[in-house]
Amino acid sequence: MHCALKFCSYWKNKIWQHCRLFCLLVFIGITGCSSLEPVAAWERGYLAEDAMQWQSSTREAKFKGHVYTSKEASSGGNGAAGGGCGCN
Amino acid sequence: MLKLTTHPVITFGAFLLCAAISVGVHSDATTKQDAIPAPEFSLPAIANAEGVISLTSYKGAVTYLDFWASWCGPCRLSLPALDVIYQELAPMGLKVTAISVDVVEEDAWDFLARYPVTYPVAIDTEGSVPKAYAVNGMPSGYLIDREGRVRAVHVGFKRGDEDALRAEILQLLEE
Amino acid sequence: MAVIERGVNNTPSLTTIKRSPLVRTLGAAVAALPAYQSTNADAPPEFTEVGLRYSHYSEDSLSEDKFIAGARGRYDIDVTQLWIEAPIGSSWSIAVDVQNDSMSGASPWFVGTQIDGNPGVIMSGASIYDNRVEVGATTRYFWADGNAGFNVTQSKEDDYEAWAMAFDVAWNSDDNSRTWSASASTSNDKVEPVDGNIPVFIDREDIDTASIYFGVSQILSSTAIVRIGLGYTFSEGYLSDPYKLFDARPDEHSRTALSGGYRKFFPEAQGAIQIDYRYYSDDWGTDSHTAEIAWQQNFDRFALTPYLRYYSQREADFFSVIADLDEKFYADDFRLSSYGAMTVGLRSSIQIGEWQMEGQLERYESDNDWGLYDGEAAPALVNFWRATIGISWRFD
Repeated sequence: MHCALKFCSYWKNKIWQHCRLFCLLVFIGITGCSSLEPVAAWERGYLAEDAMQWQSSTREAKFKGHVYTSKEASSGGNGAAGGGCGCN
Repeated sequence: MLKLTTHPVITFGAFLLCAAISVGVHSDATTKQDAIPAPEFSLPAIANAEGVISLTSYKGAVTYLDFWASWCGPCRLSLPALDVIYQELAPMGLKVTAISVDVVEEDAWDFLARYPVTYPVAIDTEGSVPKAYAVNGMPSGYLIDREGRVRAVHVGFKRGDEDALRAEILQLLEE
Repeated sequence: MAVIERGVNNTPSLTTIKRSPLVRTLGAAVAALPAYQSTNADAPPEFTEVGLRYSHYSEDSLSEDKFIAGARGRYDIDVTQLWIEAPIGSSWSIAVDVQNDSMSGASPWFVGTQIDGNPGVIMSGASIYDNRVEVGATTRYFWADGNAGFNVTQSKEDDYEAWAMAFDVAWNSDDNSRTWSASASTSNDKVEPVDGNIPVFIDREDIDTASIYFGVSQILSSTAIVRIGLGYTFSEGYLSDPYKLFDARPDEHSRTALSGGYRKFFPEAQGAIQIDYRYYSDDWGTDSHTAEIAWQQNFDRFALTPYLRYYSQREADFFSVIADLDEKFYADDFRLSSYGAMTVGLRSSIQIGEWQMEGQLERYESDNDWGLYDGEAAPALVNFWRATIGISWRFD
């Protein structure tokens, strides 16, 4: 419970500025994108290409995240964090 | 102590799961009265037929029209599954045509070489037929009755969908 | 195999449509028809996939001018990844991942002063050997407009054990142009350092972590897609490095990452540009920028992807080149220093029937001079090579 409360207080204070920026970007994006003509179901062939995916593969994303998280101070940016390891 | 760390996270997760599951809702079958006439078309054949395939040639027959693409994942299941139904019900008068919406015709040939079928296949590289049918997902199948009316639409394809589809076709064949 | 007969008329799109007055209402009527849905995006995998991947990771030895004592050779890691992913019934999938890391080499123990006055690294004595095994299982449920997954992973080493649970969900807008995603995870790590070449001063400690993420992706056109995401992670417990002599970190760590991505396909070139960016910031005083750019070129069944990654971070508040033991918190860990880093790599893949093969090679170099932020240079900054080969097979 102690940790849960702390989690919430950090959420409020520390990341509030990121949250505002994020919400602003999403709002601008959605407003801007609402004028977009939706791409028809039969015109999504290029979007289905491997080259258009967010990750080249699940396992590469996992490997990469693992290497960079253990060699650099930063982490995250691709979903919620996974478990740790004593990698040094 | 630290054990309760998980609580807000699990609550959040459970909430999202409930919200998400409540989204998927299915609708009922259409009656003959509100069924819509299937738009006419005529397209070049690329497999199991010669020349041009048009809807008029299936007049008076129960017809299943399936829009697919080589880049569509579930189409790897739907085309072969449809072939099984076709081979079984063709003697009862079922007509099946698959319309590829591939922009490059060779991509459609490659797909058919890997997943061969016996029913006629046509191609519409410009997308005007799927537009006329308001195709809203890949694959999209349209079940057309003997009077040329669209009686059911199948968007997407999952394992097991063929059973429901077969039952529906049989029902129309018996009408 | 059936022979494919091509129609005599090969002219593409000889299309004629007679417009019935009711056609326009068809779009609206589709909603009233029975739809056994699952759109292209949200269907379980069609087939079962098994795969094997092997990577070799090798850090450069510490250069002579930055080295004081110990073993100069740094980490070499052999990583084997094995997985199976299969559809279960009509709406579920399951994936099991096993990963084995086998590492050897020495790591920086602490930073001291050399005879010439410059900082130098005292490495752990002889080579350390360790093995890490990670096993994870993911189940995923798919419905018409989205999917949700649940993952449990365990990671085990001689001196470290971690359990993690993650839940994620993605749902699409009505026209399937926009996808919202959210995930939450929690993990519990147990550190039980073993005395080897260097003495350690703790018995057994815990780390608890909770993390959430929220993101949205939007299709811009038939060839472009963009996304943005915000993630927050909070850890509590023993966050210092037990294998460093001078390392005392706060026992709480909160991190946020704001990320964005863009993909654009060029049909004439048969290739796509891939751009990703992340801004990271935490309450230890570190923040960073990460930018990645890649071009994937398709050649029929073969694809080649050269890529570049730039990374720069600001040092943590309690970092100093030589740890300042008078402070409450201190660390001389190069990973907490200011620096910039570049990765240059090439990835290739080939698809033959139901088989897919991949190969990848990359070089990572880091340097204090390449950074965007001020801060003294840590002597132990790392450079490494990484090579990967993999094969996977799909079957019904």
